[in-house]
Amino acid sequence: MVEQRADGDEQAFVAVRDACKVYDDGPRHVTALHHVDLEVPRGRFVSVIGPSGCGKSTLLRLVAGLEEPDSGEVRICGRTPAHAAERKMVGFVPQTPALLPWLDVLGNVRVLEKVNRAARRRGPEPSRAAPERCDLAGDPVALLRRLGLGEVLHRRPGQLSGGMQQRTAIARAFALQPQVLLMDEPFSALDEFTREAAQLQLLDVWQELRTTVVFVTHSITEAVLLSDTVVVMAAGPGRVAGTVDVLLDRPRRSGLLDSAALHEHEHRVRELLSSAWHAGAGAGR
Amino acid sequence: MSLQPRAPRPRPAAARARTWAAALHPRVWSPTLVALAVAAAVWSWVARRSPYVLPAPGSVVEQLAGDPGLYLVNAWATLSEALLGLAAGAAAAFAVAVAVSESVLLRRAVMPLAVVLNVTPVVAIAPALVVAFGFGILPKVVVAALTTFFPVLMNTATGLRSVPREVLQVFRTVHASRWDVLVRLRFPSALPFVFAALRVVFPLSLVGAIVAEFSAAGATAGLGTIIKVAAANSQLDRVFASIGCLALMGALLLLVVTTVERRVLSWHSSQAR
Repeated sequence: MVEQRADGDEQAFVAVRDACKVYDDGPRHVTALHHVDLEVPRGRFVSVIGPSGCGKSTLLRLVAGLEEPDSGEVRICGRTPAHAAERKMVGFVPQTPALLPWLDVLGNVRVLEKVNRAARRRGPEPSRAAPERCDLAGDPVALLRRLGLGEVLHRRPGQLSGGMQQRTAIARAFALQPQVLLMDEPFSALDEFTREAAQLQLLDVWQELRTTVVFVTHSITEAVLLSDTVVVMAAGPGRVAGTVDVLLDRPRRSGLLDSAALHEHEHRVRELLSSAWHAGAGAGR
Repeated sequence: MSLQPRAPRPRPAAARARTWAAALHPRVWSPTLVALAVAAAVWSWVARRSPYVLPAPGSVVEQLAGDPGLYLVNAWATLSEALLGLAAGAAAAFAVAVAVSESVLLRRAVMPLAVVLNVTPVVAIAPALVVAFGFGILPKVVVAALTTFFPVLMNTATGLRSVPREVLQVFRTVHASRWDVLVRLRFPSALPFVFAALRVVFPLSLVGAIVAEFSAAGATAGLGTIIKVAAANSQLDRVFASIGCLALMGALLLLVVTTVERRVLSWHSSQAR
């Protein structure tokens, strides 16, 4: 079963309410998001999945404060994304690692510490969803070791494999001790083998830190393996088609990938995606 | 089970020694040597046939060896003009590049002026500058600075804008200030572009200094003056000795830039061997 958090703090921590976003694409308008609602309770790992063009990355950018909704509102811990950014409450892992090639791994993980230093004075305490006995919070080196990067702390990104670069990007986001971690298909460019390893290492770190995560992905297996809840989105216009609660025990290990329970969840997500697709096609796509 | 991909190994001293050994292998330097020998042979042949067009290599060497002090003093005069102009021009270009990359208004105001300055031949400006600033070092420095300014400005401005969008997004999500973005992202990202410009303008600054010396020939020191006066007196060996000095200075300047670049940009793909 999904673990209930000890403090029972289950109110919406990340809330998107009735968000609409339309892009002008020359003569035509593309509705990226059409009255989308999303609620993520504190300490939950929520994946957003859907076909290309369903607006899942747009949704993530709204939460990250990189874009504004045309209507509706976004709140992180009751604050606007801009306020959340000012207080460094949000960690963002984009699709590419986006590392700085002139800094080594440790430098890349620490670089965000050095910007906007005033944030800690303004904002709430760093995320401590699992506060006691946590070695990883506030220790970038321990974090990197846990992510399997202990041997390459002083290598530059150009000397790393794709998987290592992406894990460095994840470490950089965790090192901020954010209230919310937003990940935009971080493993999509990795090969199957590397991706599985990276997923398990992410789970391992998350199990300890319990940061609230919104994870955008294309992969059904990835969504089910990682998440407490999978939000299924549909395209044309981008909307939430349904959610699937993943009732698999944690901590989750690689053996789970072959289990019937995981496949059953995958099946439910696939069915939701499929029925949303057909509904969209029926509506004259 | 370790699922980690294997990391590339660091380069130990032995590997570095191998790199040096490879660099000293005849197949690396022999083509250059052969090309030089061919050029020298062609030069000697042409010089024998028409000594009034091209002096023999031997007489040029004699000329250099006969009065090394003359060439040293004048080479130093030209070099100092070039380097002062280079420093002033590159510093101004860098400052303007930062300003125009941070402000659209300034970009619209300044860039057309910079382009006009660039398309105006420096040979045409030099005499006017001599009139304005006299026969001293100042007009030479200004011309050298002008030749340096535009390449550094354009490359730096491009480099400052070359930060990938996703890196900027990561910095935006932590509310990084413009200063942080400038210092931590834009400056280092611009470095490969800046060095590409410096590789061009270090030797180019000599061109600026020489052109300015031509415009005030006879009134001041410098290899440009020597060339102008010697050419008027048909002292071809002296002209070519000065040209040789200039070629050597240009090569040395380029060597300095590439050496510094290799150290500073060790992280950049352009430095991969």
